[in-house]
Amino acid sequence: MSVEAQDRVTVTRAVKTVVIAESRLSIDPDAVSGDEPLNGELLRVNSFGFVGMLVRLEDDLGVTLPDDLFVGRTFTTVDDLVSVVLDAVEAAR
Amino acid sequence: MTEQLLSSARAALHAAPPVGDPAYRRYCGALAEHLTSSWPLVLKANEEDVAAARRRGLPPVLVERLRLTEDHLDGLLRLIDAVTAELGPATTPAPPVPIGDWGALRKVPKPLGVVFMVYEARPTVTVEGALIPVVAGNSVLLRGGKEMAATDEALATAVHGALVSAGLPAGLVTVIEDPDRSVFRALLRRPDAVDVLIPRGSPALIDFCRSAGSIPVIASGGGVNHLYVHGSADLARAAAIALDSKLAEPSACNTLELVLVDEHVADDFVAEVVRTGADVTLKLGGGLKAEPGGGVRIAELASHDLGREFLEPTIGVLPVPDVDAAVEHVRRYGSAHTEGVVSADDAAIERFTRGVDAAAVVVNGSLRLHDGPTLGLGSEISISTGRLHVRGPVTVSALLTHTWVVEARGALRAERGN
Repeated sequence: MSVEAQDRVTVTRAVKTVVIAESRLSIDPDAVSGDEPLNGELLRVNSFGFVGMLVRLEDDLGVTLPDDLFVGRTFTTVDDLVSVVLDAVEAAR
Repeated sequence: MTEQLLSSARAALHAAPPVGDPAYRRYCGALAEHLTSSWPLVLKANEEDVAAARRRGLPPVLVERLRLTEDHLDGLLRLIDAVTAELGPATTPAPPVPIGDWGALRKVPKPLGVVFMVYEARPTVTVEGALIPVVAGNSVLLRGGKEMAATDEALATAVHGALVSAGLPAGLVTVIEDPDRSVFRALLRRPDAVDVLIPRGSPALIDFCRSAGSIPVIASGGGVNHLYVHGSADLARAAAIALDSKLAEPSACNTLELVLVDEHVADDFVAEVVRTGADVTLKLGGGLKAEPGGGVRIAELASHDLGREFLEPTIGVLPVPDVDAAVEHVRRYGSAHTEGVVSADDAAIERFTRGVDAAAVVVNGSLRLHDGPTLGLGSEISISTGRLHVRGPVTVSALLTHTWVVEARGALRAERGN
């Protein structure tokens, strides 16, 4: 597996774990698909949790993410969030 | 940076007068005066933050949460009044207790120490944090979001003015101006210098604070709260209790998520809720069916709904065979925050209250009664679901520890014969 693919797997798992926690759910990350809406029937992610989500992601991924990573963007699905975090992780390396 | 913050907070703690000193009451009065006189400046600074938040593209809901008004000042002044009234009872030492024929034991209240509060985008928490822990003699480090930096700076000026007017060290309250998360992380790694961590915010933030370091945490873990309706209950009253437990503040931590109802009365209970016509969604599980009515919407309860906070006017309803099944469900899915039982059967109530482990169990009443002022316990800074030191409303008295002062009058252990 390439480094990029490995990064995507790691980031996807970290993002799913954090949105599950933020949605007050107790389910396996594998049960969340990439096209799952961030604010829908299953997940309930809103902007109040951005600071907590950032520090959790930084800790899980071992990188420093920009303060404004989630600001001024529109996220609809889990994959949208994964893409932004993945770009930031690659930029941080 | 971190070292300086910690050393000045500790120095202020040591310089502060003992718990119960009149200076803390003076501080309450001075804080009310300074907040009132500086409120126009606070609002001006808040306008800057709100404008900056809009420019940065923060969602409208977050911008609104950031905004302060005159109403917020009124609320803070009421809080200060309440805390002033609670201060005496909360901080007065208990009378000495004789120890045999040789001495006396005094339990003397002491502050917890240096308290680190971290919270997200709600400027009134800055004042709550500068009030409730401080009147118990604690030194606080307050870390709000960078979105409220200008507001916090204006509030810090008012707070420091009040501390100095009251004769207290200004360093008792430090508003951390550096928004860099590395400062936050560095503080979490200092259990030698920070005595207590109080996070207020999202589940991700609280989980992070709980797992990132070894500083004792006082935190609410969110409320996955249940109401068990026993077969003996007055079902109309049970419906009213369920709705009162939810509708006034659907995203509060003490709100209701799931009703566990004895299966032989489940249909009737649902019918009672529908009859109210309240503006609520009922998510029905276990094969329950109902038609919507008035504002009551009907949906299906999914398996992932068990153990979740809906954060909206939605209540799940799940039939259970008996009280033991209800207890079992709460043990599996509850968050040890607030649980309730509605029943006319004392044995069922006793079985539920003994079997369920939570910060509060409400018998025949709304879950939203679990609130420090409502219970007469005092103003609270949060509701703790922790197992040690404090559980339930975190009031002034919960932000104290104590020293046992042993008045030994020259006694020797060797003379005691043990």
